[in-house]
Amino acid sequence: MTPRQRAIVIYSGLAVVLSVALVAMLFLGPRWLATSEPEQAAAASAATSNARKIRARLFYVSEDGTRLLPVEQEVVYGEGTIEQAKRIIEAQVAPPKPPLVSAIPLGTKLKAVFVTPKGDAYVDLSTEVRSNHPGGTTNEILTAYTLVSALTLNLPAITGVQILIDGKEVDTLAGHLDLRRPLEQDGQWISQ
Amino acid sequence: MQTRRISFAVYAAGLVLLASAVSGQGPNQGGQLTILLREGRRPLPTVALQGRQMVGLDDLSTLFQLTVREDAAAKAVTVSYKNQTVVLTPDQSLASMSGGRLISLPAPLVRQGNRWLVPVEFISRALAPIYDARIEFRPASRLVVVGDVRVPRITAQYDDTGTAFRVTFEMTPKTSTAVTQEQNRLVVRLEADALDALFPAPPSQNNVLTGIRAVEPNTIIMDLGPRFASFRTSTPVSSGAAAMLTVELLTIAGQTSGNPPVAASPEAPAVPASPLPVFGAPRASIRTIVIDPGHGGEDSGAKGPGGSTEKDVTLAVARRLKSGIESRLGIRVLTTRDNDAQIDADARASMANNNKADLFISLHVNGSMRPATKGASIYSLSLDRLGEDARRQSRAEREVLPVYGGGNRDFSLVEWELAQASHIEGSTAFAALVEQKLKETAGLPVVAVLKAPMRGLAGANMPAVLFEMGYISNPDDEKLLGSAEFQNSIVHALTEAIVAFREYLDRGPAVPAAPAAPAAQ
Repeated sequence: MTPRQRAIVIYSGLAVVLSVALVAMLFLGPRWLATSEPEQAAAASAATSNARKIRARLFYVSEDGTRLLPVEQEVVYGEGTIEQAKRIIEAQVAPPKPPLVSAIPLGTKLKAVFVTPKGDAYVDLSTEVRSNHPGGTTNEILTAYTLVSALTLNLPAITGVQILIDGKEVDTLAGHLDLRRPLEQDGQWISQ
Repeated sequence: MQTRRISFAVYAAGLVLLASAVSGQGPNQGGQLTILLREGRRPLPTVALQGRQMVGLDDLSTLFQLTVREDAAAKAVTVSYKNQTVVLTPDQSLASMSGGRLISLPAPLVRQGNRWLVPVEFISRALAPIYDARIEFRPASRLVVVGDVRVPRITAQYDDTGTAFRVTFEMTPKTSTAVTQEQNRLVVRLEADALDALFPAPPSQNNVLTGIRAVEPNTIIMDLGPRFASFRTSTPVSSGAAAMLTVELLTIAGQTSGNPPVAASPEAPAVPASPLPVFGAPRASIRTIVIDPGHGGEDSGAKGPGGSTEKDVTLAVARRLKSGIESRLGIRVLTTRDNDAQIDADARASMANNNKADLFISLHVNGSMRPATKGASIYSLSLDRLGEDARRQSRAEREVLPVYGGGNRDFSLVEWELAQASHIEGSTAFAALVEQKLKETAGLPVVAVLKAPMRGLAGANMPAVLFEMGYISNPDDEKLLGSAEFQNSIVHALTEAIVAFREYLDRGPAVPAAPAAPAAQ
């Protein structure tokens, strides 16, 4: 092989390598540049951990299954009653870490919170609060009073809570508890 | 002579507007409400939309002199009456009232063509508070009463003794009456502007009372059959906020039902009839019980790990309980369902109210997020804000009035859906007796007696409890609940509790003044 032929082979090889590298960068580059999901979660966690927080009592099903256990947890700070109510309910409807058991059906999302001057809060939830509800009077009572307790016991400005689903009033969640009016706090459902 | 008692009772919930009956249009189940004003009646068309009854803001505007203004920029509709406003937003079930108050509606404002529609509840929740005359919405009778219009609710009950046929009218609020005979009919005239009444058909072939109907504006016509001889009426007597009037139709001697005389004469001598009922005299305290098997149809209720469903267990126990009570106590028992049917809460309570039930027992099976949870629970209604609403919505001044069984009672009228508010003490007493009998006879060690705002109890106009027989979410309880032996023990305990409750009622006034502590064994 003459020096000229050798040069051609070397340059051709380099051209192929560069082409492959260029194609790889075009198609895979964005993925390399993007942050991985765990990294994203870590970043969000870092941002959240930097956010101002309050201590609030959230409520979970007691060991005997018939009452609610208050558990103090950090909740993101919200400016004013309505914003704080939203942050508390968002934390309350989130699936808890074991061994805590929530009375809020899985998949339930908060859509909106309204508070009247009289102190009644309207908590608008997604349909999962009913469609994923396991049924039973005790379960239904604990679901409703989880929300009632989380708001009335953390926010003195709120004295009653009415649950809406997709913006609409509902008779009940599972056929037992009357949800046509705001419910007031009821200590009999709280475990001492 | 053994009394043949044929009792039909109609409660306000099942009433149909008199005007509809009179005009021959039949029950007005859909299509329109009727507005009753001092000036007369006005129809208010309704539109069914996604299961909700809606009315047009344009129609309301005409009837109530409202101003409706659409603000396209703010995407809102403002309804004004004098200096009061209600602001509605499409797709939003909350409305903002003058002064910043929010009210909740069961459905949002909807645009249909060039019209704005609102749920019929807008009338009572938004319009009534801003209007300068009283507006009372009676959803059961599809009637809106505006201003100072007297529209008593009228119920009727028949009682055939063989020698006489009694018709007892209950009029709420108390209403004066005059009864006269005009040829072959009796005419009952009431001091009212209109009547809110529906009467069940008289028993067939009784040949004394062949028909009964209300005629606009304030008259009840009773058509007389060939067995009729003469009549007499009781002096109207107060019973709480209601007045009771008995019209007794005396029959021709020797004639029996289905055997009309050849020639009937109003002057024919009547056989001696038993005395007219004396209001205030002792009466059977429990004559009818309604058993309510919870859930049904697509609503299965709670489910067990083994696949059992609440709706099946409640129906099975209801059938056993009906049979047990009827055979042992001779009390009439009705069930809100006897198959796998889906029935809403109001229909269940209405059935008990319409049949003048003396006791309402709703059967359920519980569920918990903790599989270990087990045991029975008995609920009666708690009042909290519900009770306060009941008192606030009272439409009659509180007063002390005589009641059945003697004695007096402090009474006030409440909304139909809050009927249970006046039976809390009786319900609490019965719940305590159920607990006692479950422990004594069914051997259930864990029985919780609780109060909560239960939807199915709120409208029941009699002592009422919701009984959770066990936790179907617990594998042991699930097996028990499905066993005939356990179901029979539940039936036995409930029957014993009914016997004890009957004794409790017989000891005192029909509505106990205070809950009774269960007697220690």
